[in-house]
Amino acid sequence: MKALPSLPPDQRREFGSRVNAFKTEVESALAARAAALAASRPPAGGVDVTLPARERAIGRVHPLMQVRQQVEDIFSRMGYEVLEGPEVEDDFHNFEALNMPADHPARDMQDTLYLASPIVGGIWGAHRGRIPESQVRAATLLRTHTSAMQIRYMKTFPPPVRILVPGRVYRRDDLDLTHTPMFQQFEALVVGEGVTMADLKGTLLTLARELFGDVAIRLRPSFFPYTEPSAEVDVSCRACGGTGCSVCKGTGWLEILGSGMVHPAVLEAVGYDTEKVSGFAFGTGVERLAMLKYGVDDIRLFYENDLRFLEQFPV
Amino acid sequence: MKVPYSWLRELTGVGAPAADVAATMSVRGFAVEGIDLQPDGDAVLDFEVTANRPDCMSVRGLAREVAAAFGLPLREVPSLAELRDGQDSAVSIDIDRPDLCPRYAGALATVAVGPSPDWLQARLRACGVRPINNVVDVTNYVLLELGQPMHAFDLTRLSGPAIRVRTARPGETLRTLDGLDRKLAPDMLVIADAERPAAVAGVMGGADSEVTSTTTRILLESAYFNPLSVRRTSKALGLKTEASMRFERGADPALPARAMARACALLREIGAGSADGTLLDCHPAPPQARRLRLRRLRLAGLLGVTVPDADVLRILDALGFAPTATADGWDVDVPTARVDIAREVDLIEEVARHHGFDKIPATFPGLTVAPPASDPRVAQARQLRHVLTAAGFFEAVTFGFMGEPAAAPFAARGDLVAIANPLSETFAVLRPSLLPGLLDGIGHNRRRELADVRLFEIGARFAQASGERRAVAFAWTGAAEPPHWSIAPSPVTFFDAKGIVERVAMALGVPITVEPSDADYLVRGQSAAIVCGGARLGLVGRVAPAIAEHHGIPREDVVFVAEIDLDGAAGHARAATRVEPLPRFPSVSRDIALLVDDTLPSATLRYTIRAAAPPSLVQVREFDRYQGKGIPDGKVSLAVRLTFRSPERTLTDAEVQSAVDAILGAVRTRHDAIQR
Repeated sequence: MKALPSLPPDQRREFGSRVNAFKTEVESALAARAAALAASRPPAGGVDVTLPARERAIGRVHPLMQVRQQVEDIFSRMGYEVLEGPEVEDDFHNFEALNMPADHPARDMQDTLYLASPIVGGIWGAHRGRIPESQVRAATLLRTHTSAMQIRYMKTFPPPVRILVPGRVYRRDDLDLTHTPMFQQFEALVVGEGVTMADLKGTLLTLARELFGDVAIRLRPSFFPYTEPSAEVDVSCRACGGTGCSVCKGTGWLEILGSGMVHPAVLEAVGYDTEKVSGFAFGTGVERLAMLKYGVDDIRLFYENDLRFLEQFPV
Repeated sequence: MKVPYSWLRELTGVGAPAADVAATMSVRGFAVEGIDLQPDGDAVLDFEVTANRPDCMSVRGLAREVAAAFGLPLREVPSLAELRDGQDSAVSIDIDRPDLCPRYAGALATVAVGPSPDWLQARLRACGVRPINNVVDVTNYVLLELGQPMHAFDLTRLSGPAIRVRTARPGETLRTLDGLDRKLAPDMLVIADAERPAAVAGVMGGADSEVTSTTTRILLESAYFNPLSVRRTSKALGLKTEASMRFERGADPALPARAMARACALLREIGAGSADGTLLDCHPAPPQARRLRLRRLRLAGLLGVTVPDADVLRILDALGFAPTATADGWDVDVPTARVDIAREVDLIEEVARHHGFDKIPATFPGLTVAPPASDPRVAQARQLRHVLTAAGFFEAVTFGFMGEPAAAPFAARGDLVAIANPLSETFAVLRPSLLPGLLDGIGHNRRRELADVRLFEIGARFAQASGERRAVAFAWTGAAEPPHWSIAPSPVTFFDAKGIVERVAMALGVPITVEPSDADYLVRGQSAAIVCGGARLGLVGRVAPAIAEHHGIPREDVVFVAEIDLDGAAGHARAATRVEPLPRFPSVSRDIALLVDDTLPSATLRYTIRAAAPPSLVQVREFDRYQGKGIPDGKVSLAVRLTFRSPERTLTDAEVQSAVDAILGAVRTRHDAIQR
């Protein structure tokens, strides 16, 4: 443009308009490039959203407690009162009233841990208001099964009874692949007029299907001092569909719990009229169910509290 | 109980394959734990016999069950010797304790001791019994076949010869067949000769009167002993035998004579000897025959299925109950071998067992009353799990017992609850606290290269003084927050742990405060008691390095823990929620910086502030704490934000200022606090 005055007047107009056109072209090209460059930059305050998140620590409910909670839910839905009982007990509630008098051979089935000196047991039943014997006055042993609560409950409340008692129990067992000296059990007890073994079977089938899906159950006669008739309960093996495999040792069935009709001697021990009421009871180890459900083959994993094990379970 | 299939077939004529017999018997109450195929084509079935069925600790007992299950007739045991009841001048039998030994049968025989024939040895071996010699083998064969434990004494080694069934005398001992010298207690029943014990009744014979290769005259014993007596003796001696296991569960009081006849026949049959032919049967207290009634309605009422009359009769008959029909059911005579059958319900089980549990339908028990609410502790545990897992904690489950050294630091002296018969030293006492178990869990994870570990547990703990009480506890080591490139790593501090304690208290609905604690297992100055309503509910603080080390955690690792007594908290839980109206007027905040002694607990200062302020002070919050340049030694500058609000009107500056002045005056007077 500095050369403009030196041009002849007739050429000035054309030169000026060509230069202006060129200028406009360059400017718009620059603007376009600047816009393109600006578009490729992150906006102010932008972040790389693909960087790892700021993790918030989250733990897990223990797998045994997950199974326990599931069992509690199943029975709550069926109208059971879920309650806890003391872990230290006396001989009467743990054995004698359950048709296992002193020196009964069946006591050998449950090797017992005794306390060196008696202590006061835990509180139970506070949610039902003031009840007599809400605490074990002189506990002498670690309960070998949650069945001890059958007696406490029935001695306190008249029939009908429909309870689920989850909790820890203790046996004088060595620690190995399938045994721990302490384990988690749950116990269901139903007593009332006209309660039958068919009702037991229907209830067990419901439990098995809720826990394991579309399975069949099988009752096999067995012996427990506090039930008559007594039955071991098997569930069909899901791994092979019942045809036999290594999981079920070729039988197609897996034993999951012990059950039976409450022995009249037990009902008599708590002052129930055996001509009027009958009932069923069953119980099992939560570990056993959890092992089947999650494919755990070493029971000790449940008690090591290894985070690499625990974090495999759902939140 | 191992039984060759061929033996079962001999007694029942069963033709089904061994695997089918096993499958059927498993659902009749006799689980078969294994089938062992023999080289000769036979199969040995290993039956599991429940403790209530001593009658089935014999081939004949199991054969009766097989016959009933397959609808086959039970065949009699072959060949019994004819024995006359009578006395024998050669040996006298006296029972001093008919309560412990209601029946003692003896028979004399002349024998030629040698090996048994092959068939008999093979059967014993198949059943897991080692052949010894023909005489002993015969007694073992009868034990297996009929379930009657028998014993053979070398008659010439018995003093008298005489048999006296009595309790042991003080100081008596006996060398039993296993070669051990046994000290006998005065409540133990023994079979003695004229001078000394020759056998522990129902448990094991004595070595001195053992049948040997030179024995020529024997006394065979076939008796019934009191189950409790045998059980106690067996336990006291730590000696469990094939005989004791049957007697302690209950033998058949009618069997001794029959078993003797069978043994004498076998002796003759295998050429081992011949019996004199007299049965010396002392039977001072024969048991009463037992008759029971089974009601048709009761049977159907308990099972929930109607079993046809014909099937009831068939089953009871096959099991030897000799049923007779009555108007409302059946009367039965209980076989003497069936010690488990005491009442009607036992008969119902028998019928149900052989009718088949599979024929019982699946129904559902009706609700007749509204079910009571569940134990709120169940819901509380879930609430705690929600709160703690959301705060990053993993639920642990640890044993209720532990070694004494691990437990001791967590209990007052003498307050530990010891187990009388622990399996090992590692399970010697009940846990006084959930913390040692959690520390074990931390240690376990630390050894596996996991540095950031948060665990919690809900469960019972035990003490002599307070008994069994429930608690919730947690342990936390490593980072306060998961690592991230945007933040500097910061290890867990007391205040992180205290924050979790406050959350737990919130979940429990209890108002808590904390005050310094001097618990030995925590680091002093970094630990506090958790207090509610004047009562101590628990502790929070850093674990003493020596304790951590005991649980496999490096000394230098910082571990914070807390434990709260749930039973104690239950009494302080707040009642029903009542909503307060939301504030309608704005609040006014004033920040003040105070120079105070660094030993002054901030809770005390806060208390003074609140006490001096009007009700319009709604919040006191420390927001900065500074020590260093410009602050004298032993002092700290504490910045506090005071928030005022009235529910009725907007506060004036003058009102707020006069409240702040009152507060400043109070902290100056009480704590020498100077405003900076």
